[in-house]
Amino acid sequence: MKEYELVCGLETHVELSTKTKIFCGCTTAFGGEPNTHCCPVCIGLPGTLPCLNRSVVDYAIRAGLATNCEIAEISKMDRKNYSYPDLPKAYQISQYYMPLCQNGYIPLSNGRKVRILRIHIEEDAGKLIHERGNTYIDYNRGGVPLIEIITEPDIRSIDEAREYVEKLQLIMRHIGVSDCKMQEGSLRCDVNISVRPKGSEKLGTRTEIKNMNSFTFMERAMEYEMERQIDVIEGGGSVVQETLRYNPDEDITESMRSKEDAHDYRYFREPDLVTIHVTPEEVEALRATLPESPIDRQARYVNELGLPEKDASLLVKYKKVADYFEAVIEGGFNAKPAANVILGQVFRRLTTEEAKEAFDILPTPAQLRELLEWLEAGKIRMNLVKSAFEKMLDTGRPAGDFISEDDMGGLDEAALRKLCEDSIAANPKAADDVRAGKEKAVKALVGGVMRAAKGRADAQAAEKLLLELLK
Amino acid sequence: MVTPEEIRQLALLAKLEISEEEIEPLARQMEKIIAFADTINSADVGDTGFDTINGLENVFRADEVLPSLPQEEILKNAESTADGCFVVRKRGAAR
Amino acid sequence: MISTLHQKLVEKELSCVELTNLYLEAAQRDNAALNAYVTLTPDTALAAARATDERLARGESLGLLDGIPMTLKDNISTKGIETTCSSRMLQGYRPIYDAAVWEALQAQGSVLLGKTNMDEFAMGSSSETSVFGGSKNPHSLGHVAGGSSGGAASAVAGHLAAFGLGSDTGGSIRQPASFCGIVGLKPTYGAVSRYGLIAYASSLDQIGPLTFTVEDAAAVFDAISGRDERDSTCSGAKEATLPGLKRDIRGLRIGVAKEYFEGIKGDVRTAMEKAMETYRALGAQIEEFSLPSLRYALPVYYILACAEASSNLGRYDGIRYGYKTSSSYESIHEMVCKTRSEGFGKEVKRRILLGTYVLSSGYYDAYYKKAQNLRGKIVEEMRAAFASYDILLAPTVPMTSFPLNFTGQDPVETYLTDICTVPVNIAGLPGISLPCGFDSQNLPIGLQLIGAPFAEAKLLNAAYAYEQAADMYRPAPFGVQFEGGARA
Repeated sequence: MKEYELVCGLETHVELSTKTKIFCGCTTAFGGEPNTHCCPVCIGLPGTLPCLNRSVVDYAIRAGLATNCEIAEISKMDRKNYSYPDLPKAYQISQYYMPLCQNGYIPLSNGRKVRILRIHIEEDAGKLIHERGNTYIDYNRGGVPLIEIITEPDIRSIDEAREYVEKLQLIMRHIGVSDCKMQEGSLRCDVNISVRPKGSEKLGTRTEIKNMNSFTFMERAMEYEMERQIDVIEGGGSVVQETLRYNPDEDITESMRSKEDAHDYRYFREPDLVTIHVTPEEVEALRATLPESPIDRQARYVNELGLPEKDASLLVKYKKVADYFEAVIEGGFNAKPAANVILGQVFRRLTTEEAKEAFDILPTPAQLRELLEWLEAGKIRMNLVKSAFEKMLDTGRPAGDFISEDDMGGLDEAALRKLCEDSIAANPKAADDVRAGKEKAVKALVGGVMRAAKGRADAQAAEKLLLELLK
Repeated sequence: MVTPEEIRQLALLAKLEISEEEIEPLARQMEKIIAFADTINSADVGDTGFDTINGLENVFRADEVLPSLPQEEILKNAESTADGCFVVRKRGAAR
Repeated sequence: MISTLHQKLVEKELSCVELTNLYLEAAQRDNAALNAYVTLTPDTALAAARATDERLARGESLGLLDGIPMTLKDNISTKGIETTCSSRMLQGYRPIYDAAVWEALQAQGSVLLGKTNMDEFAMGSSSETSVFGGSKNPHSLGHVAGGSSGGAASAVAGHLAAFGLGSDTGGSIRQPASFCGIVGLKPTYGAVSRYGLIAYASSLDQIGPLTFTVEDAAAVFDAISGRDERDSTCSGAKEATLPGLKRDIRGLRIGVAKEYFEGIKGDVRTAMEKAMETYRALGAQIEEFSLPSLRYALPVYYILACAEASSNLGRYDGIRYGYKTSSSYESIHEMVCKTRSEGFGKEVKRRILLGTYVLSSGYYDAYYKKAQNLRGKIVEEMRAAFASYDILLAPTVPMTSFPLNFTGQDPVETYLTDICTVPVNIAGLPGISLPCGFDSQNLPIGLQLIGAPFAEAKLLNAAYAYEQAADMYRPAPFGVQFEGGARA
């Protein structure tokens, strides 16, 4: 049985989070009653003209820089002509001949790179709803700015595809150009997929799969299509180049195009818009506004701060979390406790993705740091840190409000011994159990010591001493 | 030579319905027009880099929200609307 | 004409409402013969006229265009007022916004009498592709007013309006002005905002005035030109044209491209030669030179204009506005095809097909791309001429108006009438047509002057000087006529 390899490229549309649409001043805000975020320009009334939103260009350039692209000094807008009810002008203003960004890449964790062929700006179409044989059209989304990111066919596995999209999401969110939510449609992936015998250099015929609005669907679609193509080839046939739709109900891919859809887009230069000329100085100015790449940040957390990969990737996933974390440990402070508090206590409270992204918690980084500094200095124990921080999360008051001078300072040997003896005296049954050989019963005695010590005792030391005393 | 098949293809792209009777005469007319357009073949010109007529560049608008028009205005000229949307109603042969 | 009417209003010879009613009554009476108007707008007109009268009553000083009755070509968007492009496709369409030029004129207090007839979607040279039929030439009802701004020219030449706005993509202001014996100005591409002009060919269209006099054209141009942030291709005018209009033109350098005169004969040739004599007498220097790329101008124009038009007209599908088929259909695709085939006329469909052809893969390089490159060459050559000349002189059209129903038999033949006007659009230059004579049938002949980019002031100055010296005005027997003639 021949072994086949997957060859895959992705075309991703990312909705930019500018305030207004790409060619008019209508809001890009999500939702709203149908056709209430529209104007003569974005519904393409006769006589209207597009005006390019400066921020769209800036966001696209930043997206290009964050993915290692070259930014074109001269780029132009083109018309892509096709007739469909969600496209009011019967053409989409896009960039075909001279896109804004080219030749970038996103690195994968296995050391390979997914090369980005180009990134260009374009406008989104409206929304169609097919119901009861009728077609309803809402143009609120029409004119929302998009960047289209097209890769080379460098992806070799479904895992790589998933990782590429996750990294793309991470980067776009990190630099603040899009919230990249697949379920909401601010991130849409089309997959170009073909198969070939392993070791072959030639590209097989590819098909394009559209309409997968979750990671799960994307993976299932790719799995199905890969197998389908292999079956066709093994059966002696050849794969037909076509556009497919993923059908989630039946978990299959099916042909999408009808004979009415001709493929000739007749691209030509958009005469209503002028050239975009970006100088190297402007590019550098935009580059300076970029935060550290989340991929680099994650690597730094692992390599320099010694955090486990899993923790590092969770911290980096939400820019505000990572920023907060770094503020807490600024100047080379110990990273692990801070990470644990954030990923443990705080994340337990921030249950939704939105909450984690917003990371709106009361304690300031400085307040958490103060608390952790006391821990570091040995003035308090971890369990006191936790209980104090819970109260800080509730109230926003500083650590000092919940930890007095008395609580600080560890117990010396004599004090610990006294507390252990007190605990033994207060819990005769547990003490007897331990003497009888049930060592587990010592936990109850440790608990007694800890309560009395109000967090100033070290649990392990207490346990050791108790066992000794009860021998 | 502009073939009837080419006319049909163009009509499909341009979303025009050309009846069978119209196709032949239209193909003849198009041929004449294309022949007229073909006179540029004799021109010896390379890439002049012609872009836009006045060489303007970087004309932008600021990313500031302007009021949209009310829904009734947007829908005003449409023949068929429902629930705030433009509608294309199914209209089969048996009606 | 405009300043005469302005004086009458200021001196209270008649009220603006009275003036407006004169024009409205004349339109009711004479439009059947001329077919200049598609829609009359008496309510809008009288409301504006009353506002002018109120300003007069308050003793406010009146701007030059305040209270002046005018028209707009029916491809210029007027909020709430039907705008049809003389096509079934847009019958009943009422824009929800005003074109920039209409906003500008409203701010001046202009009185809109109505929307004028045109070739359907501005595609044509006779106004006969209009779904409402062609507009007639007031100098001879058996001849066309020209196109595509035929209605505007007919209205002005027929004294049914003091001035009108038209649009010019390949000669659509200048040619009807030439045929009807009036002044027609196509501004530099980018001098006047296209926002609200229903597009034919985006890189060639410009809005401009049709008037009786050059001075009127200057006044209207100054009012409608200017930067508009809604049109990214509009940088506005460089300077006002009225102030320097009447300067002496001694020493003016006029270039005459010999390619423009190939095939020009008969009465038109004679009129051209006389015009050149007039200029020499005024102290201008005339010199012949060559513009070799001019011979490609017409095919380049048709390739590029039709390409852009095929794209601009893609939006008409009956869903958001405009005509929608009443036949039955099985799919949206079928609905759209039927709508478009029933809504568009023959010439429009032909140009859409040609445009689709030259943009389609396989033909794009040979036609569209090559035409763009040739356009670059024409632009370069024509603009370079202004290093040696202040203006260029040429005929507007190689002939005078043709009889009704003469065109349309052979589409290419019709295209050839644009041969003198089209290069000016390709190069984005300003061009003006002025009456310079009459043929043996008393049909007007047009003289065309072409200026450097954004040099309307110099162009109009040159035109004014000729106009005053030559005085080729001849009133047509229609409309509102005042003592001393409308040219006073």
